[in-house]
Amino acid sequence: MKNTRLFSLLLILVTMLLAACTGGKPSANEKLHVLATTSMVADVVRQVGGEYVQVTTLLPLGTDPHTFEPRPQDVAAIEDAQIVFANGAGLEEFLEPLLKSAGAMDKLVEVSQGIELLPLEGIEHSHEHEEEEHSHEGEEHSHEGGMHHHQGGDPHTWMDPNNVLIWVENIATALAKADPRHAKVYRAHAEAYANELRALDAWIREQVAQVPPENRVLVADHAVFGYFAEEYGFRQLGTITHSFSTGASPSAQELAALEDQIRTYGVKAIFVGADVNQNLAKQIAADTGVRIVQLYHGSLTDAQGPAPTYLDFMRYNVTAIVEALK
Amino acid sequence: MLILDWLLAPLQYSFMLRGLMAAVLAGILCAMVGTYVVLRGMAFFGDALAHTILPGVAAGYLLGGGAREPLFWWALGTSVAASLGIGAITRRGRIREDTAIGIVFAGMFALGIALISTVRSYAVDLSHFLFGNVLGVSWQSLGRMAIFGLGVLLVLGLFYKEFLVISFDPVLAQTLRLPVTALNNLMLILIAVTVAVAMQTVGVALMVAMLVTPAATASLLTRRLLSMMMLAAALAAISGIIGLYVSYYLGIASGAAIVLTATLFFLLAFLFAPRDGLLWKRPRA
Repeated sequence: MKNTRLFSLLLILVTMLLAACTGGKPSANEKLHVLATTSMVADVVRQVGGEYVQVTTLLPLGTDPHTFEPRPQDVAAIEDAQIVFANGAGLEEFLEPLLKSAGAMDKLVEVSQGIELLPLEGIEHSHEHEEEEHSHEGEEHSHEGGMHHHQGGDPHTWMDPNNVLIWVENIATALAKADPRHAKVYRAHAEAYANELRALDAWIREQVAQVPPENRVLVADHAVFGYFAEEYGFRQLGTITHSFSTGASPSAQELAALEDQIRTYGVKAIFVGADVNQNLAKQIAADTGVRIVQLYHGSLTDAQGPAPTYLDFMRYNVTAIVEALK
Repeated sequence: MLILDWLLAPLQYSFMLRGLMAAVLAGILCAMVGTYVVLRGMAFFGDALAHTILPGVAAGYLLGGGAREPLFWWALGTSVAASLGIGAITRRGRIREDTAIGIVFAGMFALGIALISTVRSYAVDLSHFLFGNVLGVSWQSLGRMAIFGLGVLLVLGLFYKEFLVISFDPVLAQTLRLPVTALNNLMLILIAVTVAVAMQTVGVALMVAMLVTPAATASLLTRRLLSMMMLAAALAAISGIIGLYVSYYLGIASGAAIVLTATLFFLLAFLFAPRDGLLWKRPRA
């Protein structure tokens, strides 16, 4: 125990020393330093922020937030950021202790704020939504735009570019507030990017039109297509994990029901995230004689990959879906 | 002053300060309890217990309408219940302790999955909500660990002699008419509490390592129980500090850096221990 006592003494000393010497931060820096939790959010923030914003991405490409092991540098990046952009809608729940620990909750901006979230539906019963909604009572509600408002919803908002329009709005507002000198620039970037998103939306409609209506059925490994299906007239049929999360495992009954559905609807393909375990999906595909099509779900790829930006990501996915179903 | 700067730089982040305190606290607690874990040869008890909490957490989540705060108590309760279950199965004598651990762990984990498969939502990863991370420690969980840790160490101190006897000399324990069963159960409860609390503060991997590695290292260096416990605690605390600094300066995940530091200490002891070091015990050619 001697060591400990010595250590705690040292710690106290050090703390006091620190309190004395960490007064002034270099705030005169030209660029606004912000952090985004996922590569998707980071890309959109970059589009809006342009040259005045330095964006750090917390989760490396292709990382599942559930299994993310941070380095001190990652947490330091959260603490040093002037704004922390998160997807929200419950996606970052696993990062919450980390964000809290780094004091990110006051500067947290959830880009999905204001999007009307789809319920966690189709797959479950109404009382379970209530449970989800209540799941955060008792935790602090103080910070505005905190993480606890809309736990009941499907967090995969980016699957519809119209939702990303709201992201852009939220991001532009937050950047303009933090850096009023360049507010006009951010507004202009936001407007330009919004136009690209609208063009993307129009393009998706064009593409989807090639798919015969009876083929517009999506079977995925987990429930990522809610917003896409809603917007472009698809049905999201059962999902393999019957869940909104990648970590679930299905029951025998659920798998049987899914295979039955695949046969009755004449489903042509199962869409699987490039970064998840595909064994089950492969088996189902083999049993039912449908194709497996790889899509990108929650993360962009690096510059060499097919989906380095959000726009590429959507184009890649839509092309793959249309190719598979038409 | 260069060294001082080097030491102080990471501490300008309050999360590093909390992380250091958590690593040291959890290290000391786990290492002292872990001395018994190692002596009794139940190294996988910690890892198994960390996963047996799943059904308790699931039940707590379902019954509590999804409230997050009571889950800590559900986890604690399940951990204690599972450890007593393991004890009860072992006591009959027919089943070895490691087998009992295997049975209870697998059964409880499956029960948890079964419970959760009735709910379709993020609840699937429920137990992961409870797995802490050295870098994501709140003051609250630090305080909780300090209180529980103090309690565990207090009981460990009060029953030091009894635990010593039942761990090293079961026959003597019988002769002395010690309440062996009750003491065994008490020991299991202490381990279960340590596991549940440490896991929620610093994560499973780090908890398991701190439970086993420093105590094993100490057991190579000394034979006396008390000095073994002290040495294990010191090794764990030092591993925590060194590991976090290494993690900060080399950009390695913190839990892993701490575990690797503790492993390095073990290897050093394994090779160079005064009496049993591998180096001094070359097979005669």
